[in-house]
Amino acid sequence: MNTQLLAIVDGIRTPFRKAGTDFAKLGADELGRIAVNALLARTGLDPALVDEVIFGCVAQPADAANVARVIALRSGIPESVPALTVHRNCASGMEAVTQAYEHMMAGRGEVFIVGGTESMSQVPLLFPSSAGDKFARFNKAKSLPQKMQALLDFRPHDFNPRVGLLLGLTDPVCGMNMGQTAEVLARELGVSREEQDAFAVESHKKALEAATRLAEEITPVYLPGESPVVNDNGPRTDQSPEVLAKLRPVFERHTGTVTAGNSSQITDGAVALLVMSGEMAEELGYEPLGYLKAYAYSGCDPERMGLGPVLAMDRLEESTGMNLENADLVEVNEAFAAQVLGVLKAVKSEKFSRKVLGRRTPLGEIPLDRLNVNGGAIALGHPVGATGARLILTALKELERRQAKNALVSLCVGGGQGGAVWLERSI
Amino acid sequence: MKITKPLTERLVTTPGNGATEPVPMTPPTPGGAVQHEIMADGVCVLTFDCPGSSANVFNESVLHELDEHLGIIERDERVRSLVLRSAKKSIFIAGADLHALSTSVEAPADTPSPGLADFIELGQRVFSHLAAFKIPTVAAIHGACVGGGMELALACDYRLASPDKVTKLGFPETQLGILPAWGGCTRLPKLVGLPTALNLILKGKPVQARKALKLGLIHGTAPKERLLELARQWIRRGKRLASRKLPVLLTNHVVAARVIQPYLRTRLMRDTYGHYPAVLKALEVTCQGVGLPEHASLKNERDAILLLANTEPCHNLMRLFFLQERAKKVQAATGFSLRPAPAAAAGTKRAASLVQECPMKQAAVIGAGVMGAGIAHWLSSRKLPVLLRDLNPKAVGRGMTAIHNNYEDAVKRHILTRTEARAGYDRIFPITHEGSLKNVDLVIEAAVERMDLKKDLFFKLAMETGPDTILATNTSALSVSEIAEATRSPERVVGIHFFNPVHRMQLVEVVVGHHTDPEVLERTVRFVQQIGKLPVVVSDSPGFLVNRILMPYLMEATELFTGGAAIEDIDGAMLEFGMPMGPLRLVDEVSIDVAHHVAETLALHFADRMSTPTVLKSLLAAGLLGKKSEHGFYRHELKTPEPNEAIKMFQSPGRASRLSRLDMQRRMVLLMINEAARCLEEEVVTAPEDVDFAMVMGSGFAPFRGGPLRYADSVGLSRVVHELQQEVDMGDAYFTPCSLLRRKAQNQETFYPQKGVVV
Repeated sequence: MNTQLLAIVDGIRTPFRKAGTDFAKLGADELGRIAVNALLARTGLDPALVDEVIFGCVAQPADAANVARVIALRSGIPESVPALTVHRNCASGMEAVTQAYEHMMAGRGEVFIVGGTESMSQVPLLFPSSAGDKFARFNKAKSLPQKMQALLDFRPHDFNPRVGLLLGLTDPVCGMNMGQTAEVLARELGVSREEQDAFAVESHKKALEAATRLAEEITPVYLPGESPVVNDNGPRTDQSPEVLAKLRPVFERHTGTVTAGNSSQITDGAVALLVMSGEMAEELGYEPLGYLKAYAYSGCDPERMGLGPVLAMDRLEESTGMNLENADLVEVNEAFAAQVLGVLKAVKSEKFSRKVLGRRTPLGEIPLDRLNVNGGAIALGHPVGATGARLILTALKELERRQAKNALVSLCVGGGQGGAVWLERSI
Repeated sequence: MKITKPLTERLVTTPGNGATEPVPMTPPTPGGAVQHEIMADGVCVLTFDCPGSSANVFNESVLHELDEHLGIIERDERVRSLVLRSAKKSIFIAGADLHALSTSVEAPADTPSPGLADFIELGQRVFSHLAAFKIPTVAAIHGACVGGGMELALACDYRLASPDKVTKLGFPETQLGILPAWGGCTRLPKLVGLPTALNLILKGKPVQARKALKLGLIHGTAPKERLLELARQWIRRGKRLASRKLPVLLTNHVVAARVIQPYLRTRLMRDTYGHYPAVLKALEVTCQGVGLPEHASLKNERDAILLLANTEPCHNLMRLFFLQERAKKVQAATGFSLRPAPAAAAGTKRAASLVQECPMKQAAVIGAGVMGAGIAHWLSSRKLPVLLRDLNPKAVGRGMTAIHNNYEDAVKRHILTRTEARAGYDRIFPITHEGSLKNVDLVIEAAVERMDLKKDLFFKLAMETGPDTILATNTSALSVSEIAEATRSPERVVGIHFFNPVHRMQLVEVVVGHHTDPEVLERTVRFVQQIGKLPVVVSDSPGFLVNRILMPYLMEATELFTGGAAIEDIDGAMLEFGMPMGPLRLVDEVSIDVAHHVAETLALHFADRMSTPTVLKSLLAAGLLGKKSEHGFYRHELKTPEPNEAIKMFQSPGRASRLSRLDMQRRMVLLMINEAARCLEEEVVTAPEDVDFAMVMGSGFAPFRGGPLRYADSVGLSRVVHELQQEVDMGDAYFTPCSLLRRKAQNQETFYPQKGVVV
């Protein structure tokens, strides 16, 4: 058994539910807890064996700081086990896995519970800072007249909320919304509205067909007084190019191509994975789903963050020598159809390879029959902190079903990054 | 009584001004229950620490010792103030030593015992001594402060308490059939006003520090390490003056008392049918005390307790209290009398070490129905992680909703904080087929009551679990031994029978199968104690103990109904007897289908005297399931359920319609006594205490009557047999007295060896 590999023993996730639906009242800590609770129950792991809990979360809840610690304690992991929350935007769930690998390699533990959690329903509305100052003044005021005066200082615009979700999806450096960066790719790489819509329809179709396969990675969520939530509610049965064509572009009113229909959905959900050294897995008698073989993160132009996967794949090829041809399955997270289609074009473009990656030959080609075979975030949704872990779980389960060996899993990351990992099924 | 050891008395000089410095405690004097030390600032700290026990209690010697300390302190000129505290972890003072009290009680009937009178007067004198101190006095309370402990605190100027969970303050005396007689009834109204005082004394329910502060019972709260510091702050105010709070002044008045007393008396008579003389007496003494000088009211207290201590209810309630205490600690092998244990299995050594290393760390509950969810909820609330498994998400979901509602309810009733409730709910691991049971210490099966299903389930469970995992069934009527025989390791199979609703019913029947390993039994009993329930060990026979005794009673109630008796008369008859709920109402609560199933099972085994009541079949066929379908013998959709007139069509009036309430009561109780005696005869349990304890705790049998066998003793066994025989002669053969009853009646024996409190 190669100790250089991190064994991914098992994983489970909550259903992914559109924001504002069934899970609207569950915080990120509760979603994460439910996933870890189910993971512990199905693996029968003695929680005392856990060395660390690492969870990815983007919009960390104000009422559960270091959400990983909250999840760990609420799941019955012993108090002595440390926990940390990681944030690499859309790759946070992947970051949790790769951090576990690094901690293992550094000799800082052998058994980890990792994953990602996100409640996009509960990203708060924020008061503008002008209101904050006035609240502070009101609180400091001692006498009634002073309090009255402080109250009178408020103006209607002080109560205009700033939508946290919108702020989170806007790059503070280049000032662009994520959707706008997708429009940049669509323009520069020539991705048409029709191509995007067709891709989106396909994602829904694949996800719907995969419903029973995806059920294998889902644990029911029990909401008091309601029937159990057992499946994703993102995939739509009524998607067709005609239906999608009717939607108006969101980010460029008149000439844009990116619509709500060909973008990922805003979703609540959590994923939990049990990972450990290969030796430990053997000792405990587990048959891992597979192994984390190698990974890479790479930075890129924030305005073209959607191409991040290409740069990460390039870096990964450099360190492993494995290329796209070795991949039995490829996951490119579907932040936007325009962005995935941009990636597909960039990996085979000589010009892109030369100019951006500085290499003579392109990375190769990603065959569509190996790409996102069970649908992607356009259909299933993209709870940002959880998606990275979900892609790894879905890919490993699919490798098993196909009796295939290698999977390449990648995401684009807001702020201009890409992440990619090689997974290998235990053979 | 003489103090055996010299009193330690030590002047502690602390650097600086001394007043606010933490002061080291005097090393406890070996042998003494009370010590005192004097600080540099004139604060005298008197510490209770009964040697060799985790509790402080008042018996004669401790009272004498306290009195001597008080005398010395009073004469010491350095002392400016007095603070009382306890050195125990979770008890301030748990009240009078009940053993001392109960031995005093066992005097010849109907003459006030001189021993008890002395004991009461001694306590009154010592507390009055304290109350008359010229210097400020403070009770610094951490841990349980109940009964005599609370009365001691009342004799102080100020009461301060830690806001800890273990700190409870109150007067549980009436629950034991007596009343606060060391000044409680006299001093409490002066402090908190008459209505609050009566509420505390008559209900007998202790309160936590926060509530006590609100009620005015205590003056302030501080963490236990800071109580002394807070005491110093209160001492500066000097002696406490009489309460000037308007509500106290207004209600603490002869006129108010004259209004309150008759009003409450009527209400108490309505609720308890006058079965609890202690409550009525406490009401009388407390109300009268308002207009009397202290010494006269104290005399009233004394006379009242001497009277009460000689009543049957007091003896019975005390015995039950001792039995409860025993059940919390007892070990299966020693405390419960069992049939000869089956040949000890191999590997007993390993199991023995398991008993040592308890407690259980993880449990699994199979089946998320009413019982399964109730059990899972209870275990999780007692800090145990629980896997809750059922066949599909829908079934699990219903269980999770029930558990959630239980927790919500506990939050609403201030039993748990929201955080505690959430932590409890988090301890449930809901699973369907995919979960792993390999780390589980104990599995409790609460699935459908069908032997074939259970056999199949246990066969699999034995293989899914580790070699030390206990496999328990919550069956209420099926044979544990038969279930065990379906597995490869029958020695691990045992019965753990909870009662519905699980979070309310304290009793748990631990059922020993033919193959159950003694160590498994021992661990199971420990487990039941670990989760805060009261175990009674019973042998594996149809209906076990409680259901078996209850069923003839419930069947008779339904037969009386069929025979034309009115629902309100049947239930009324038993309410008057002292049951918390009438039998037909109880059938509705447990639900008609469950009652029907148990009746059928028992009828199968005891065909000579039991049969499934026809009316249950009819109700079942009509879809009337009792409370859960809103209609049964009662209409439960109403705010206060009313008898269901619509089921009159199932009646065919006969002799029953002509029976008086007393006649009906007699018939129903006779059947219970007869079946209880049979259980003893067949050694379902071996001691009459076990039967009575189980019936009171498991079915709510009128506690003041002590249980069916104790009640039979008090009626006289020959009369019981005679009355049973009378019913037989009237044509009801199922009243045939069992041979144990007949034999004992013939030999003029009783179930209990003698009168009074015997444990």
